[in-house]
Amino acid sequence: MRRRSFLSLGTAGLALAQSRAPKRAILDCGCSLAPQPQPGRGQATLAGFEPLQSGLKVTGMKVFGVSLTRTSDRPYVFCKLETNQGLVGWGEGTLEGKAGAAMACIEDFREFVVGADPMQVEHIWQSMYVHSFYRPGPVMGSAMSAIDQALWDIRGKALGVPVYKLLGGPLDSRGVRGYYHADGVRTPEALAKLRETAIQQGVSCFKTGLPTYYEWIETRKKISAAVKSMQVLRESLGPDIDIAVDFHAKTSPSVASILVKEVEPLNLLFIEEPCPPENVQAMAKIAHRSTTPIATGERLVAHFGCRELIEMGVVDILQTDINHLGGITGLWKVSQMAAVSGISMAPHACEGPIGGLATLHVNSAMPNFVVQEICGQIQPGPTDKIWQEWLGFPAMRMVDGRFPLAQKPGLGFDLTEEALAKYPFGGTRPMARVFHEDGSVAEW
Amino acid sequence: MTHAMTRRMRLNAVLAPQAAVQNQGPAEHAISEMRWFPLREPVSGRRYTLLRVKTRTGLFGWGECSQAPAQDALALEKEWIGKSATCFAAIDSSSPLAGALDMALLDILGRACRAPLYRVLGGPTRHKVRAYTASNAAGFSAVEISVPKPASRNQGKAYENQIQALVKQLPEDRDFVLSANGSLTPGDAASVARTIETLHPLWFDEPCSVSNLDAVRKVSNETVTPLGFGRSIADAGIFQALLREGLIDVVRPDIAHWGISGARRIAVLAEAYYVAIAPHHDGGPVATAAALHLAASVPNFFIQHVPLPDDPKDREMRAAIVSGALERPQDGFLQLPTGPGLGIQVNESALEKYHAA
Repeated sequence: MRRRSFLSLGTAGLALAQSRAPKRAILDCGCSLAPQPQPGRGQATLAGFEPLQSGLKVTGMKVFGVSLTRTSDRPYVFCKLETNQGLVGWGEGTLEGKAGAAMACIEDFREFVVGADPMQVEHIWQSMYVHSFYRPGPVMGSAMSAIDQALWDIRGKALGVPVYKLLGGPLDSRGVRGYYHADGVRTPEALAKLRETAIQQGVSCFKTGLPTYYEWIETRKKISAAVKSMQVLRESLGPDIDIAVDFHAKTSPSVASILVKEVEPLNLLFIEEPCPPENVQAMAKIAHRSTTPIATGERLVAHFGCRELIEMGVVDILQTDINHLGGITGLWKVSQMAAVSGISMAPHACEGPIGGLATLHVNSAMPNFVVQEICGQIQPGPTDKIWQEWLGFPAMRMVDGRFPLAQKPGLGFDLTEEALAKYPFGGTRPMARVFHEDGSVAEW
Repeated sequence: MTHAMTRRMRLNAVLAPQAAVQNQGPAEHAISEMRWFPLREPVSGRRYTLLRVKTRTGLFGWGECSQAPAQDALALEKEWIGKSATCFAAIDSSSPLAGALDMALLDILGRACRAPLYRVLGGPTRHKVRAYTASNAAGFSAVEISVPKPASRNQGKAYENQIQALVKQLPEDRDFVLSANGSLTPGDAASVARTIETLHPLWFDEPCSVSNLDAVRKVSNETVTPLGFGRSIADAGIFQALLREGLIDVVRPDIAHWGISGARRIAVLAEAYYVAIAPHHDGGPVATAAALHLAASVPNFFIQHVPLPDDPKDREMRAAIVSGALERPQDGFLQLPTGPGLGIQVNESALEKYHAA
């Protein structure tokens, strides 16, 4: 039968065709490449894992959206896995501006997780990544991150050790070096005061951003102001405090190249995202024209997503985020791959406390670790108070310039659903929308 | 400041003071003793050295390397006695004995967690491990054959015919790896690679030396036969270079040299290029156990070489020093050891018997 005449039969004809060939299965997707049952293969091979399993099974998965304020653009997305032996694991997949999508995507992975042996985290991770067919972007990456962290939490608890020990850490038992943000601190006086507090507290590093938004090409006035803003940082904070500046992809390669070169004498620890991340060649243009170290990676997924940056010699410091790139498994793999090329790690974690605490475990076992980001200020804020209320300790507050390491097994904290219930999900909210003077869309 | 200072040099200047500071807290499972056991197979004469690491908490673990020169062993002991045995990420991978120490520390970690190592490392990613050997042992479905030494250099067709005849002696259903041990000229390597294309080897191993990447490019450009490299590579950056250019189909870090963690790092690298790992192995049964755990903890493992000797006396030795049927495959696959750590028991009295003077 020719295709056209077959189609013209319509649904009645289709039903007829089926009844004449009852043995041929109709595939849901209509795709002739979908896996066919193979005798002795396919699902059957999973039975081979039975004798090697730990006895732990994931029996339940719960997804939480947690909004600290009614208008938060980043409600925390948490995942709790329950097991047949009473152990539970927590993970985070907070995705700024896309909370609902991340939560739904975790649900989409339910079949990959519930019923599985949580100890087989690498196998589960691979299955989520590969069997999704469409390669993970940030939504799927964040969902995988939540599940992966929760599995590692269970793994550590089941084996009786903090997760960093399963990764071969700690490389420094004093903890993990970090930095606070110095948002809005721009005057010499305010910066001098920040320096004083930093020295008292042992904080050795800060990061801040550029003062405004930038068009494709910029005016002398704005270029000079941007350079000046960075000079003031170094002059006021002194030579011993490390300073990082996050361009946050606000600048085009043309504008960034000028700024990155102008600030070379300031000896910055790094400049972050000098342009948007999709075009590695564009970022390479900036990086290759300056000696200032370049950091990027918070928007990337898995080690696959970092390969080109490393190959092209664009990046000095990778900043992949444990809540987006694929959890502990993903962050550990990126660090291993980066280490071979002499690339350093300064992971991003600007979401909730679970991802923040999880990232410390991985950092603690990285030979190429530099410093950990957290979106907190040197003086604790209301968010820090809520985290302490949830976890019973000041999560993500540094002691003597370092985040202390967990002593308890797993990720090292206890969290209850009741604690989160005070902050119910307030719905997905978009991230900020910023426009230039002429109304055109600006990067922020 | 001169422009000769690169971005990376600048960063290193910032990082150097940090690197000097290390682990200052109390060490958990502190290492109390490291002992080396040089061994020799009685007939083949193959040598390997086992490492036993003990902790103050009464745990112990085993590792293996090809040999442990006294100077390197002393340096390692000086660095590690008193340190935490679970801190395997702190091993300096540039030490020639890093692999042995890594296996031993992971063995200890697994025993401390009362779990097989593949489970500690996030596996199992597979429930059995495909294996091949160059020996006549039963149970393997794939075999390694070595190219004969060419009568002269670059003799072309005559040598190709010789290789074809060699391969055609194999039963039809027998998979094979053709190994040249880095011995061929780039020209011979490329023509052999091409001539075996339609015979479908699993891969062509070490067709030529990797010291000249242009030579490897030539071989790779002229054939679709998969290429394996790695037995002599001691710097992960070389794997990186081969992978970046698409010159390698099977990464083959030596398991005893790299240990489980070093080989895993190379596996991660290869994974990003959709390339498989098949660790090189020319040592004893402790390294075989390590290779099995590696296989079950990475996604992109393909097959493990088992260096079984042909002489029964040598095989007797391997079976005597490590318990279980570790190196006996069924239907082409080895079973995973299920005990804690590496899942093996080392028989110390047998180590005395086979001690290499």
